[in-house]
Amino acid sequence: MSLSPASGIGRFYKHSAKIIRFVRLGCANRPFYHIVVMERRKNQHQPVIEQVGSYDPMPNESNERLVALNTERIRFWLGKGAHMSEPAAELLGISGLLPVHPRTYMTAWRNRRAAAEAEAAETETSKVDTA
Amino acid sequence: MLRAGCQLLNQAAAVKTGSNNFALEFVRWRRKPRWLPVAKSKMFRVPERKKQTEEERTELMRLHNNYKTQLRSVRQYLREEVVRQQETSTADHIVLTPEQEEAEFQRCLDENAAWNAKIASERNVRLAEEREAKVAYVQERLEAAKLRSEERREKVDERIRYEIEQAKTFITRESLEVAIETALANPVDHNYAIDLEGNMYRGR
Repeated sequence: MSLSPASGIGRFYKHSAKIIRFVRLGCANRPFYHIVVMERRKNQHQPVIEQVGSYDPMPNESNERLVALNTERIRFWLGKGAHMSEPAAELLGISGLLPVHPRTYMTAWRNRRAAAEAEAAETETSKVDTA
Repeated sequence: MLRAGCQLLNQAAAVKTGSNNFALEFVRWRRKPRWLPVAKSKMFRVPERKKQTEEERTELMRLHNNYKTQLRSVRQYLREEVVRQQETSTADHIVLTPEQEEAEFQRCLDENAAWNAKIASERNVRLAEEREAKVAYVQERLEAAKLRSEERREKVDERIRYEIEQAKTFITRESLEVAIETALANPVDHNYAIDLEGNMYRGR
């Protein structure tokens, strides 16, 4: 599989459905994503119309997950009627460009609940230990 | 010979079909082919449904409704923005008159010339410095070479003087007879012994 350039050589029809989505680059156990605009029906590893950002989902040494967005072009493509994949929509919501996606809230409350349950289990076991 | 060749061929075929230990094994894209049936261990497995409470569902519904409404209005705004941009932008069509274009070109040319002049002056300074350094280096090498050659000449002269000095005692064709006479007149006997104190003990 050859890599397609991020500069965007993808051909597209004027009225075809475009989508802003991730392209998974990197390698095994090391994901890295380009945020791209491409025709919706195409495979993610086809040439893209335009790259509008990048996303590194693995925390770096200062515990940051780095995202770069070309907001000007994202605004342009959204104005042109481009769709968004759900992860891309979540990321744009968190970045503050769009309203926050409901799935972000859902993940947050599920995480909170899991943390609370884990803490409860912890206190339970400590009680048992002391008793 | 022919038989040996056949054996080799057979070995190669064995490697390709994977009937010996050296067969390739892919670890990266290892997957059951699509045409194989469901595994026996998974035959009666019922996938577990994700549980979602009524409360969570209604909350998500509300959030999604809000999100869709908000996104629709944002999209509307962005669409209008794009239209506005297209109307006001001069990116795709020419708006300069030929005179303006000429002036712009002239300005660019002047700027380029200024840059070139600046870089040329810097380069001249640098080249002069380099030339000076080169001259100094060559001079130094020449001096060193001169010194070296002088030393060599000195050494050679020394040798010649020494040889001339030596040549005074050489036996020439003229002095040959005299030398023979002298040698015959003074026979030297080397058959003697020396003890540790250096005393000579002549035999004969």
